[in-house]
Amino acid sequence: MKTTFLGFPRPGEMAGTRNYVLVIPAGRVLSIAATRVTDYVTGTKTAITGGGEVGHHKRDRERIARLLIGFAKNPNTYATIILGARKDFGYREVEPYSLAHEIAKAGKPVEVLTVEESGGLERMVEEGIALARRYVHQASLVRREPVSADKLAIGVKCGWSDATSGIAGNPAFGKAADLLIAAGGTVIFSETTELIGTEQDIAERCVDKADAKRLLAMVSEIEEAAKRTGEDIRAINPVPSNIAAGITTLEEKSLGAVFKAGTSKIVGVLEYATQPTKKGLHFMDGWMSAFSLPMSLAAAGAQISLYQLGGEDLPSNDPPMLATNNAVVSPLMMITGNPRTAGKAERSIDFSSGAVITGEATIDAVGEALYAKILSIASGELTKGETIRYSDPLDPYFLGPVF
Amino acid sequence: MFHALQLEPADNVATVVAVVAKNTQLTVQTPGARALTLATVDDIPFGHKVALQPLRKGEIVVKYGRPIGRATADIPQGGLVGIHNLEGMRGRGDLVQERGAAK
Repeated sequence: MKTTFLGFPRPGEMAGTRNYVLVIPAGRVLSIAATRVTDYVTGTKTAITGGGEVGHHKRDRERIARLLIGFAKNPNTYATIILGARKDFGYREVEPYSLAHEIAKAGKPVEVLTVEESGGLERMVEEGIALARRYVHQASLVRREPVSADKLAIGVKCGWSDATSGIAGNPAFGKAADLLIAAGGTVIFSETTELIGTEQDIAERCVDKADAKRLLAMVSEIEEAAKRTGEDIRAINPVPSNIAAGITTLEEKSLGAVFKAGTSKIVGVLEYATQPTKKGLHFMDGWMSAFSLPMSLAAAGAQISLYQLGGEDLPSNDPPMLATNNAVVSPLMMITGNPRTAGKAERSIDFSSGAVITGEATIDAVGEALYAKILSIASGELTKGETIRYSDPLDPYFLGPVF
Repeated sequence: MFHALQLEPADNVATVVAVVAKNTQLTVQTPGARALTLATVDDIPFGHKVALQPLRKGEIVVKYGRPIGRATADIPQGGLVGIHNLEGMRGRGDLVQERGAAK
C-alpha cells in the first residue's frame, strides 16, 4: 500500500496538497475588497461568510476568528493577506493585527493592509493585488516533493444520505480512513447530531476517558437543544431527501453515518474549528450543513475534505452540484456509494464505491482504491469541483443567540 | 442475486437494494451462511426496509444490530417499514411538549 504523496513542504509538521495565497477580510465590510483581489489574482482564495461577526456573542465571534486563522494555518496556504478597515477597528476577535499575530505563529508569510493606512478602499485593493501577485509568484517557487502520508489530514462529511451510505459509501471511506491512519495520517469526522443513537459505541472507542465524557456531553447538549424545539427531530433531520430515500429515523441515519469513522481508536475530541495536536482519528463537534462543515474541517487543518454522498433522491437529469469548493483552501472530493448517483452525477463525483451495492467489489477493495485516489488528489490531481470557478457561500456554525 | 441485506444477526428488518413489487419472493443476504426467503406484502422502493418477521406495535425495530426506533403499528412479515409505521425515540421535542402539557 502506497504511503507517500507529493506535497508542498511547509514550516510546520504537515505538507500542503495545494499552494494558495489566502486573502482574509477582517470584518464583513471588507468582503468587497477581498473579492476584488481574488477575482484579479490567480492562485488566491478568500472566505466570505454570510452574516459575519456583527451582533454575535463572544463565543461565536471566536468561532469566526478560529475559522479565518485556521484557513491561514492550513498547510495548503502558502501566505496570507489580511484586509482591514483600520488598526483597532471593530470587535477584538477579528481585529486585523490580532488575526495576523496568531497566524504568524505558523511561520508563514502574513501581512495586513488597512483602508486607513492605504488612504482609501480602492487604494488598499490596488496594494492587495500587487502583494497577492508577489506572494503567488513566490509560492510558485515551492515544489512538490514526496512526503510521508503521516503529513496528511483529511476531513469527511456525509450527506444526501440514503441506504447505500451505511452499507457501501461510509464503510468504504472508513476503510480508506483506517489505511491512512495506519500510515500515520489523520482523519477528522464530525456531525454531532448524527451521533445521536450511536454515541455510546463511539465514546467507547476514545483512548482517553475524558474525551469520551466530552463527546457524550456534546451529543447530550445537541439532543437537549433538539427537544427544546418542540418538534419531532425527524421534521428537521433526517432531512426530507433522507426520508424519501428510505432512512426513517435519526438513530438509523446516525448508525449508517458513523461507519465513516472506520475502526480505529479515537485519539482526540475537538471543539468546533480547532486543530488536533495528535495524529490519528479525531471527532470534531460540528453541524452537518454542506455549506458549513467542509470549511470547519479545513480550519481544523484538513488538507483534503471529502463529501460522502448518498443521493438516491436526486433528480436523474443533470442534478445540482451538492457542494462546490466550500472548504476554502482544502479541495473538496465528492464520493458516493450509490451506483445510480455515480451515473446521474458523473460530472460531480470523484470516486464511486457503488460496486459494493452491485456485488462486484468488496468494501475492503473499494476502500483501498479510495485511499489511492485520496493520495492522488493530495499529489495534485484536481477534483471535479476544482475545474469550476465557483465556491458555495459559507455558513459558519454559530451557537447564537444574536443581538 | 440478493434483493435485500440483513446487516446484523439481531436485525428484524433488511434493506432492499432493488425495486421490489408486492408479492415478490425476496432473497435476503444474512450475516450467517444461509440466505432467507420471504414474500413481500408491499411494494418496496430501492433502499427502503422490509420486515423480516411480524412486528407488533411498540416493538423495537433493530438495524445495524442497534435500535433505530419503535413500530407505531403492527407490521406483517414482508411489509414495508418506514415513516408510516416506525418512529424514532431520540431528540423528540414533540414528546417533551406533550409530557409538559399533561402536567
